[in-house]
Amino acid sequence: MPEKRIALLTSAWTSGSRVLGLADRFLVGYPWAGTWHRPDVRIVAAYARDKPDKELAAERAKEFGFTLFPSVAEALHIGGAKLAVDGVLLLTLDADGAREELVKACVAVFDQAGRGVPVFVGGPLGQTFEQAAFVVKAARRLKFPLLCGSPLPLAVRLPAVDVPLAAAVEEALVVSPGGWDGQGYHALEAALCMVERRRGGETGIKSVQSLGGDGVWRAGEDARWSKLLLRAALSRSDSPQGTTIADGRTQDLVSNGEVAKLAANARACLVEHTDGTRTSVMLLEGAIKDFTFAARVKGGVIATQFFVAPPPNSTETVGLCRKVEDLFVSGKAAYPVERTLLATGIIEAARKSWVSGFARVETPHLAIRYQPPRDSQFCRE
Amino acid sequence: MQLGRRDVVVGAGVAPLLWSRGGRAAKRPKIAAVCTAYFKYSHAQHIVGRFLDGYGWNGGYHHPEVDLVSLYVEQVGADDVSRERLARFPAVRSCQTINEALNLGSGKLAVDGVLLIGEHGKYPRNDRDQTMYPRYEHFMETVKVFKQSRRVVPVFLDKHLSWSWDKAKQMYDVSRSMRIPFQAGSSLPATSRIPSVEMLPGAKLREALCVGYGGVDSYDFHALETNQCMVERRKGGEPGVNWVEAYRGDKFWKAWEDGVWPSQLVYACLARSHTVTPARPGMGHMMPSPADVRRLCKDPYAYRYQHADGLVSSVLMLTGLVQDFNFAARIEGRKEPFSVQMYLPMPPARASLASSFSPLANNIEKMFLTGKPTDPIERTLLTTGLLAAGVESLHQGDKRITTPHLAIKYAAPRESTFWRT
Repeated sequence: MPEKRIALLTSAWTSGSRVLGLADRFLVGYPWAGTWHRPDVRIVAAYARDKPDKELAAERAKEFGFTLFPSVAEALHIGGAKLAVDGVLLLTLDADGAREELVKACVAVFDQAGRGVPVFVGGPLGQTFEQAAFVVKAARRLKFPLLCGSPLPLAVRLPAVDVPLAAAVEEALVVSPGGWDGQGYHALEAALCMVERRRGGETGIKSVQSLGGDGVWRAGEDARWSKLLLRAALSRSDSPQGTTIADGRTQDLVSNGEVAKLAANARACLVEHTDGTRTSVMLLEGAIKDFTFAARVKGGVIATQFFVAPPPNSTETVGLCRKVEDLFVSGKAAYPVERTLLATGIIEAARKSWVSGFARVETPHLAIRYQPPRDSQFCRE
Repeated sequence: MQLGRRDVVVGAGVAPLLWSRGGRAAKRPKIAAVCTAYFKYSHAQHIVGRFLDGYGWNGGYHHPEVDLVSLYVEQVGADDVSRERLARFPAVRSCQTINEALNLGSGKLAVDGVLLIGEHGKYPRNDRDQTMYPRYEHFMETVKVFKQSRRVVPVFLDKHLSWSWDKAKQMYDVSRSMRIPFQAGSSLPATSRIPSVEMLPGAKLREALCVGYGGVDSYDFHALETNQCMVERRKGGEPGVNWVEAYRGDKFWKAWEDGVWPSQLVYACLARSHTVTPARPGMGHMMPSPADVRRLCKDPYAYRYQHADGLVSSVLMLTGLVQDFNFAARIEGRKEPFSVQMYLPMPPARASLASSFSPLANNIEKMFLTGKPTDPIERTLLTTGLLAAGVESLHQGDKRITTPHLAIKYAAPRESTFWRT
């Protein structure tokens, strides 16, 4: 099979960005199953919208022998007159607003060609559900395989556990070391990839409610989220803050009450699924620095850490990189785009709830059903 | 005084007496901790602290089913945190001597288990640049109390038995003759693995190799334990080691170029590492070329040793290139090497907790509760001897050291003891 030719669309290819570290993996390879794997795909064309300081696109193009084009269309045409690449890698930083712009330009090229090619979009599909839905609809209309999302669902887990397929999940909780502007999205998507495995699959989201300040902890007292699950999730953390930083001691942050003090600006988001399952997203900046999860599954509690490796290796992107490569090689997306669509919609509703004074927001537009992949997708190789 | 079998009661009959029919502990074992130094991020803080403050375990927060009742800290420096622990846990007796920690002032052994954490602190170094931590002395002091009391209890000793092979062998021999449940070693065999895999029992191994980092008579011990906890599961079990040879300086690089150890296994280890130093600025993660390796490694060294069944193991200490411990082996019948990383989240750079100590503390607790070590002491006897021989080889200009004294045969634990829950 000839090597697949890929176009990279980006805002700015900058050093140290975890997102663009993924692009580098397609140039220099990545570790897989104990060997250094050279992908069966090649970046042949790229478009970089911005030209900030320390921009690497030109340098990479020169070193790795691909061409930088001045527009998305030219990159996808590889300088010719028609769609010429076998896949599109769309990687932008979260906050630079380039994602929607590049997606639209890419879809415009596909519309003109009357066909699409496999696309990977790193991160959420947009700032709003509408923006995200635009991409998903385009993929259906033009029948191109679409994969998107966070590296976290594919990352190594400590321990290496998953929700058993079709298990009765009563309640789930995920802890994020930061808010919606950064890490919260990754935590949410990681939680969704766990709960979607429950009996019946994902049924969509009925309502979303944000909590802030004391309201977060009052809701815990009222059992609107589970303290037991927060304790279980935090039991998987390698990075409790506070006295652990001061003198090294281990801490049960829930029982000693420190979690509320350390996460002074705690936020939470209570997600009610259509089938009644509850997922709580705890945004606890200041209390911990890693991503942990727990769920009450019939017969017990499952808890794990989604492992984010320290930079510069940032190996948590390896599992995702493999799925993106598989997308380009096989034309099949390894997991459903609906997960990211829901995540985008939940975050939008959470913001709405926040600005409306923590009102419960009904989300009929998120009544999106999907089935999870049968096999666990996280990195175990 | 040598005790006969009938004179010695293991852990005051730990297994039969501790457990009632309901499965709950009828009597919580009392534990003494004997430490050289106890400061933030010291081994004493990591291990003893888990017996005081508990730790995240198995999806909950675990408080050990034993009571730490006494603490002896030999060197209390300006950075000590043991005084804070003693203030916060007033039930723990602050002891001036090891004897007191074990007897609790009663004149005879009054505890049901002993933690000996002889790592860190200011102790003299010998001409081989080994720090002479008093592990032998602390162990023998403990044994003295056992003998006086005509009773033994389980002992955990952190890291290698001693800097000296002769002392280590004496410790082992005494533990066997007195039937002391005795466990020792590194947290690396106990920690999580990425991926979460175990060496298949009975695998036929041809070559094994560990890539780690750190200094002589220090982190090299962790590399030896990493390697040993995997290779001991091979067909026939561990038969002991015939010789050890060190490589350093020009000899190291010549061996690297000549393929003395299989480069395939080195690169398999590097593909498991999460801390490969980027070969150049601006790159996040890439496989270093041989020239990069040579440029990035700061004073690398290796120990290569042949086991009695022909298996050859190598541990490569590549400071500057990686900051974790990775294992790879060639297995007969498999084309690709077997490889794995032993996860070591070292604070403060990577985490605030060194969580690799949680499964170690849990294994130690199991020994205290059952009187049965979870891991064989012979593993650590062997790695202690390997380290001493490796250091001796370095001292003698990388001369090969024959090791008839390391004909240590033992079987691996039937059940895996690394962290999976």
